[in-house]
Amino acid sequence: MSNNDFRRELNSTFDQMTGSPSPSLRDRVRSSVGQAPERRGPYWMAAAAAAVIAVLLVGVLVVSNPLNRRSNAGPTVTSPTASPSAAARPSPTTTPEAQLPAFVCTSGAAAQHPSSAPVAFVSGLRTGTHTGYDRLTIDFSNGGPSGAVELKPQSGTTFTQSPSGMTVTLKGKNGILVVIHGADLHSAYNGSVDIVTGYATLVEVKRTEDFEGVVQLGLGINGAGCYRAFWLSNPDRLVIDVEAAS
Amino acid sequence: MDQRPQILARAAGGDLDSFSLLIDPLLDPAYRLAAVMLGERSAAEDAVQEASIKAWRKLRQLRGDAQSLRAWFLSIVANECRMARRTRWFSVIRLADVPAQTGDERESYSDLHSALLRLSPDERLPLVLHFYLDLPLDEVARTLRVSQSAAKSRIYRAAKRLRADLTIEEVF
Repeated sequence: MSNNDFRRELNSTFDQMTGSPSPSLRDRVRSSVGQAPERRGPYWMAAAAAAVIAVLLVGVLVVSNPLNRRSNAGPTVTSPTASPSAAARPSPTTTPEAQLPAFVCTSGAAAQHPSSAPVAFVSGLRTGTHTGYDRLTIDFSNGGPSGAVELKPQSGTTFTQSPSGMTVTLKGKNGILVVIHGADLHSAYNGSVDIVTGYATLVEVKRTEDFEGVVQLGLGINGAGCYRAFWLSNPDRLVIDVEAAS
Repeated sequence: MDQRPQILARAAGGDLDSFSLLIDPLLDPAYRLAAVMLGERSAAEDAVQEASIKAWRKLRQLRGDAQSLRAWFLSIVANECRMARRTRWFSVIRLADVPAQTGDERESYSDLHSALLRLSPDERLPLVLHFYLDLPLDEVARTLRVSQSAAKSRIYRAAKRLRADLTIEEVF
């Protein structure tokens, strides 16, 4: 059977499976689109306002809690490109190195967040540099994402943006693609989506997808692309440490 | 944004007539894609309708120009079909039952038809896009939201499941 025969038979089979759409489909679509609730504006504004209020409330509560007034001995340097709401947030509590997972250099998934929201709103992207690693912290305003978080190291720093399909090349020599299912980066986040850190290892963080509940971030790095990822709470945040090149 | 044709800009600004002009030519391929994925015509039309509403609401998020619209819209339709299958579990059972029907009915299917029904909807998707809707490879990749090489691999893998002796040259 030639290629053309195969294609012809396949398309004929598809024709049998599908038939034709009903003639009223066009009118039905137009009518339903015309009757769809007003898009964007009020919902986005309400969601953004609610997120800002929630962040402020959590910030005030945590800051006023004397139990949290302990010094942060870590050498964290927060990025000047962090989201505007970060100032109202508590500083991340330090986690003893011994309790953190080991660095890995292969594709993997972060453990599922324990309290997931149907769609988790990213509210902050913060970067910092530490001895031995650089850190990206992804804050969520309403619980962690319901889907998996995948981390995929790659050689080179070229990423494919979705859904446009256009490629983008970040700074650095290698990359890590972070895929967060069940999240969005536009409801509660209005900071930079292309952060150039100036650090030695994690040199750039760029949004490559924010579509249909999937957020992808490309990390441009110097080094082998070894990382560790873990969740911290209060506020809910995903921490990705990228190991410094030895 | 500046490169978008005016009609796309008007549609993104909320002009329903412009949106209809853009989306109307895509309804037929969208329906065919949905019908293959869902195996049921009325469910396919429902999925296209829902996808159209989502496209209308999210048109501003479309990056690129009008050329990107087809892949963008078909990816929304495919997502809608996946959601429909998750929420309407009975349609999954109905579809899965098709190859296992009575002997007479089964005989009415060609081998290729039966083989197609044995594929999962997500395996059928690249075949529909490439062979049936005749999309170029880069558009298939954008619809599937994967790289072109991954799209090529998915098309070939699914086609091989229909006909084991296919060579890659016969597929592309």
